[in-house]
Amino acid sequence: MSALTYTRGGIAAPGSTLTADTGSWRVQRPVHRHRPAPCHHACPAGEDPQAYLALLDAGRARAAWEVLVEANPLPAVTGRVCPHPCEQACNRGRLDAAVAIHHVERRLGDLALEEGWALPAVAPPRDAARVAIVGAGPAGLSCAWQLAGRGHRVTLFEAEAEAGGACAAAIPPYRLPRAALEGEIARLLALPGIDFEPRRRLGRDFGLEELRADYAAVFLAVGARRGRAWSIDGAVPSDLHAGLELLEEWIRVGSLPKPASAAVIGGGNTAMDLARVLKAGGVERVYVITHNGLPGPDVPAEDAMRALPREIEQARQEGVEILAHRGVRRLILRGERVVGVEMVHMKKLADDQGRLRRVAFDGTETVLHVDMVIPAVGEEVDPQGLESLLGGAAYIEVDDAGATVLPGVFAGGDATPHGGTVTAAVGAGRVAAEAIDRRLRGVDAAPEAPAEPIGIEGLNLAYYEPAPRAREEVLPVSERGGDAEIDRGLGPEQAAAEARRCLSCGECLACDNCFTLCPDAAVLKTRERAFDGSHYVFDYQFCKGCGLCAHECPCGFIEMVAEG
Amino acid sequence: MNEESSDSTPVPDVAALRRRQPRFQGLEAGHRACLGCAQALAARLVLEAAGPDVAVANATGCLEVFTTPWPESAWRVPWVHSLFENAGAVASGLEAAFKAQGRAAKVLAFAGDGGTFDIGFQSLSGMIERHHDVLYVCYDNEAYMNTGVQRSSSTPHAAATTTSPAGRARLGKRHLKKDILSIVAAHHMPYAATASVAYPSDLRKKVRRAVAVEGPTFLLIHSPCPLGWGHDGSRSIEIARLAVESGLVPLIELERGELTGAMPIRAVRPVTDYLKAQARFRHLFADTPEAHRELEHLQALADHNIEVYGLRGAGADPRDTAGADTVRRGGARWA
Ligand SMILES: Cc1cc2nc3c(=O)[nH]c(=O)nc-3n(C[C@H](O)[C@H](O)[C@H](O)COP(=O)(O)OP(=O)(O)OC[C@H]3O[C@@H](n4cnc5c(N)ncnc54)[C@H](O)[C@@H]3O)c2cc1C
Ligand SMILES: Cc1ncc(C[n+]2csc(CCOP(=O)(O)OP(=O)(O)O)c2C)c(N)n1
Ligand code: SF4
Ligand code: SF4
Ligand code: SF4
Repeated sequence: MSALTYTRGGIAAPGSTLTADTGSWRVQRPVHRHRPAPCHHACPAGEDPQAYLALLDAGRARAAWEVLVEANPLPAVTGRVCPHPCEQACNRGRLDAAVAIHHVERRLGDLALEEGWALPAVAPPRDAARVAIVGAGPAGLSCAWQLAGRGHRVTLFEAEAEAGGACAAAIPPYRLPRAALEGEIARLLALPGIDFEPRRRLGRDFGLEELRADYAAVFLAVGARRGRAWSIDGAVPSDLHAGLELLEEWIRVGSLPKPASAAVIGGGNTAMDLARVLKAGGVERVYVITHNGLPGPDVPAEDAMRALPREIEQARQEGVEILAHRGVRRLILRGERVVGVEMVHMKKLADDQGRLRRVAFDGTETVLHVDMVIPAVGEEVDPQGLESLLGGAAYIEVDDAGATVLPGVFAGGDATPHGGTVTAAVGAGRVAAEAIDRRLRGVDAAPEAPAEPIGIEGLNLAYYEPAPRAREEVLPVSERGGDAEIDRGLGPEQAAAEARRCLSCGECLACDNCFTLCPDAAVLKTRERAFDGSHYVFDYQFCKGCGLCAHECPCGFIEMVAEG
Repeated sequence: MNEESSDSTPVPDVAALRRRQPRFQGLEAGHRACLGCAQALAARLVLEAAGPDVAVANATGCLEVFTTPWPESAWRVPWVHSLFENAGAVASGLEAAFKAQGRAAKVLAFAGDGGTFDIGFQSLSGMIERHHDVLYVCYDNEAYMNTGVQRSSSTPHAAATTTSPAGRARLGKRHLKKDILSIVAAHHMPYAATASVAYPSDLRKKVRRAVAVEGPTFLLIHSPCPLGWGHDGSRSIEIARLAVESGLVPLIELERGELTGAMPIRAVRPVTDYLKAQARFRHLFADTPEAHRELEHLQALADHNIEVYGLRGAGADPRDTAGADTVRRGGARWA
């Protein structure tokens, strides 16, 4: 306590309460604690949308993009084709409508290409370990990016002349413009640590054991590109082609069969893309026959068609007819030529053990006259060169870190049972790269399990206003058919508005609530680093631990912990 | 990424940081208010907005006591302790003295509801009648808190205090809360308004508005008291917000007695949301006809406010109860 000074007239010049220690009253203290946002938790690629939305909201687009590509080097691609489970998980969806995360992701990806932003590059040291990656689809590219970023040298073998995998070979340009895909791939392959070796096929030009001998580790990202064998009771039409094959041919050389009518069998992306391409190519009647149901609010995920809901909706707008919950019972052949199919209503229902199984309902058979039947019922790994690993299975088995049964050999993406989307492939590439990096550095410890995401109950909703979600422009049906992109995305202002809509779950919004509302003026603010939580400082000399700041933090970024 | 930045940054020199705060702190840390005291917050917010060129006359009460534990003071502006009953008179004297000396400092009078509605009332009335250039701020925690929660004429109907206990004969305070704002406004007042700690931007705007007026102005700030009201200190803001959203505490502005501003309520909440959060109203949730009647009575009082002041909003408005506290990155919401 300061000594008292008595002035003339005997009035004390008082000491200041700043010499007091009211913090000693405290039984709990506020601390800043970052918690993963649900969008982060849900992203198969491991992106943290909260982090890049925050940077974009702060006007720092380039920094936002850099944070984004730390997890995913292909945002212009995934922003377009990912089914965006992040938006399903988004807390804002429980308030009004989810943040349009995928549109912001795409916008940042496109902006980086427009501006020519380079990926941060590290030249590998002379003695860098060499890792072989087989397959330059999204899984292989992602793994290469993550390894190069960690100072390893990568040789990326690809059977085809171009990288990109199914994104290049099978996804139609009207929903994935090649400029975006090729731009992001070229930027990645130009990195100093990556040697790209096109036209080199495992099982033809070299073997797995050679790779194991020559490289410190191997990542198999060969995808699943071989159409599953398909027949109905042994009947196979003479002109049978798998859906993926036709689609790839159309993309490669532009050729397409032109029957008067066609039935595509399957409910996934291949079926939907092929049906739309056929329709646009002049096939008058195009049907999609699927066991599954149309996606909708009351359709359980395991029953819904696997194609993206947006694609299904657009296909129907374009005149593709979807026959959901139906199976093909019989092919009606004239000689070896198809003239129709007999369909039956089907549904997945629980059996005695509670497992979902398809049940056909007798008496619901109908005949559909079509000139062509195209199965698009799924793909599996081409086993050539991988026989020792596959042992007859359709996919390569891996553990959580992407390790196969062979030491030093990892796999990810569609080649494993955990694939199916570009983002899952990107995530698998990253996870495997982390495991390979640990292996090369001789680190044993598995990564920590991610913390539980913060739910909407962890936020203080009083501080957010309802705000409508931005709507993207969509090419009208009459203008579709060519390569012109159908979904036009969001403009810069719309993307910024979406970033502003983010609730900043589990991370400081720099809203000043704690700084403004602490009755004890125990929250201070530094001027140096605005826009993230690090510039608020608790002054524990005065904080009494009332918990008001934690209660009024909109984002759940302040936690009260008991004093020891 | 932020995890890293908070971990890797060296802990700043907190004491030095305190000297470099972006807002003027007229009421500093280290005061002895209870945990979560909204009166301490309200006074801090008033001084942030009124700025350094002010002098304060402070009536006896919690604020005066907890800010000046001998020999310390939390005030960084000239400050005099008046008596319990004469903040208005002391402020009048300060103002007249400054005027005589040719000094330009705005005089503020601070008092609790006891010191305003009850014992200091005639001194406040005189101050207004003589047209002193003073902003009088009443921190309304709805009872005599400093002496142990005795009822005042500001205590709301049916609230339990030590002198209006809830029992068999009475369910808390028998009388109604005095409508001090109308009484003050009836002095042909240039500006009289209510504010709440739940809406700091609105509060600060009203302080600035009042300071700009030459002549007497009055601000009544609803300030939850965790100890006297019986709620956790962490919930002071939430409770203040519920009071506004239920209509029990209308946020209004009167000029020359005329209503010139009212914060619309976007979504009106039932008074029970507000009442059940506080121990002083706990007895109203007993399953008895008397308790039901009192709840209905309080609801009717809130409905009456909503009707009289036209508080029901017509659609979303950035200045209504839901819009006024919307947060923006970088603290941009704070007026
Ligand atoms: C028509 C269609 C539409 C789709 N639409 C979407 C969509 O909208 N959204 C979405 O998220 N996903 C979609 N997918 C799925 C997505 O494309 C895949 O999940 C993803 O590409 C898998 O990535 P990957 O790297 O594991 O395999 P792939 O992309 O298949 O890449 C594997 C690569 O390995 C190469 N390769 C294979 N074998 C060898 C070998 N022996 N030696 C050397 N190289 C080899 C291949 O040439 C290829 O380049 C779609 C798929 C198809 C077929
Ligand atoms: C003339 C006189 N009577 C009684 C007291 C005792 N006393 C001190 S503070 C106080 C109550 C203050 O209540 P209020 O004005 O509502 O302010 P609060 O403490 O609730 O903030 C009383 C009765 C006094 N100081 N002077
Ligand atoms: S509101 Fe923002 S941080 Fe929260 S889940 Fe949605 S995008 Fe992620
Ligand atoms: S509001 Fe202030 S006193 Fe209360 S816990 Fe937070 S920092 Fe501490
Ligand atoms: S109250 Fe606002 S400024 Fe404080 S930690 Fe929470 S989000 Fe950040």
